Amino acid sequence: MFVSPIVCVLLSRFELTVAAGDREELLRAPAALAPEAGREQRVGEVSPAAEAFGIHAGTPLGEALARCPSLALVPPDPAGVADRWERLLVRLEAIGAAVEPERPGLACFAAGGLLRLHGGSLERVLDAARRALRQPARFGAGPSRFCALAAATRARVRRPLVVPGGEAEAAAFLAPLPVALLRGRHETAELPEALERLGIATLGELAALPRAAVADRFGAPGLLAHELACGRDGKLAPRQPPERLAEELELPEALSGVQLDQALRLLVDRLLARRERRGRTLRTVVLAAKLVEGGTWRERVPFREALADPVRMRLALAQRLQLLPAPAERLRLAVERFGPPASDQRSLLDEAAAVRRARLREAVRQARAAAGPDAALRVLTVEADSRVPERRVVLTPFE
Amino acid sequence: MSAGRTHRLAQPRRARVEAEAVDGRPRAVDGRAVEAVRESWLVEDRWWNGSPVRRRYWEVVTTCGRNLVVFHDLRDGGWFAQR
Repeated sequence: MFVSPIVCVLLSRFELTVAAGDREELLRAPAALAPEAGREQRVGEVSPAAEAFGIHAGTPLGEALARCPSLALVPPDPAGVADRWERLLVRLEAIGAAVEPERPGLACFAAGGLLRLHGGSLERVLDAARRALRQPARFGAGPSRFCALAAATRARVRRPLVVPGGEAEAAAFLAPLPVALLRGRHETAELPEALERLGIATLGELAALPRAAVADRFGAPGLLAHELACGRDGKLAPRQPPERLAEELELPEALSGVQLDQALRLLVDRLLARRERRGRTLRTVVLAAKLVEGGTWRERVPFREALADPVRMRLALAQRLQLLPAPAERLRLAVERFGPPASDQRSLLDEAAAVRRARLREAVRQARAAAGPDAALRVLTVEADSRVPERRVVLTPFE
Repeated sequence: MSAGRTHRLAQPRRARVEAEAVDGRPRAVDGRAVEAVRESWLVEDRWWNGSPVRRRYWEVVTTCGRNLVVFHDLRDGGWFAQR
């Protein structure tokens, strides 16, 4: 039976590298991504020097600092990471790959369908992916996702590692490798520590254990780890390439509180007024901010039901905006997933007002269709108390 | 707030103003003599960031009876009318 090889693309320490930006010297010293504000106090990705102290992604912050007092904490840049990662995924998709992103810096795709597109050999596919990516990455290929990931961690940047064959060859390749590789999958990320404590150091030793015993001790994550160690893995679930629709506001000075709410209002109105929306509701949006103190903040907001009502969207988003850890100098609202076209939106107003509003909305839609998005605007107060008159009110799309 | 499609209201527009050399008091605005100065105030704002604002505002009445607000940009120079 033909087994379509799975290719794994690995950009080591992707989030840390993006967050460090130009400060490359940080990565040569012990450094780790600081925990995001309001999240669990565990460090993110760590530099090789920090790894030498026994610190790894997920180590509690207190323990990390105790192990290495000189550890530099890099403010996370979740918005920058998401942007950069999206660009790289689009580049991979441009060669025809149906990509499944596991996490920023790690993605897999099946090479089977691409072989004929790129000259008939896996090496050509890997070469095309490497050229498309336009930045150093490790490539591994194997019969399963996990095997491909293990191969990628062993590969050099310019020399992909390919594990040929099927399940048996994958298990043989994985056998001598450390159980720490299970950290590469979020479902099994917690297991390596417990396994090592029990003296199970390699994936081969894990695969040799009775399945029932592993299930008894570790539950579902243990069973999955056992399957992975035996060279088996689930099917790829490639993503649907998303439509990109975003609105951004630069704030001349750090805003917070009411002014930030007004900025949010402006963003929501603009996003809903975009023609590319084509009357569809929004299912999930991403609210991101660049913080004055450095770093960024990013919050994914799935709505309880798909929305195109600005009032309800603002209600949902304003709560998330309260979580902003510091004043923002740039705010962005992007659509991650659309819902069906708006038809039965509930209204906060009574029936007669709703009918009037629907007629008004239709009139606005027609005016926009004829004269562009700026055809219908309304006045919005943004800084009512500003001493500079032109900063007090702006015109925003009428919605 | 600023971005590509932000439309602001009450944007200043350039005005032709003749002013006293001593105290900067407007004598004429856009060719019309000033009858009276109703009020004057100074605005200093955003000195803490890269785009500070320093303006001397004058609310004047011209000889044709119009009530105007003009200001002198004390940073970059120039006179502007604003409502």
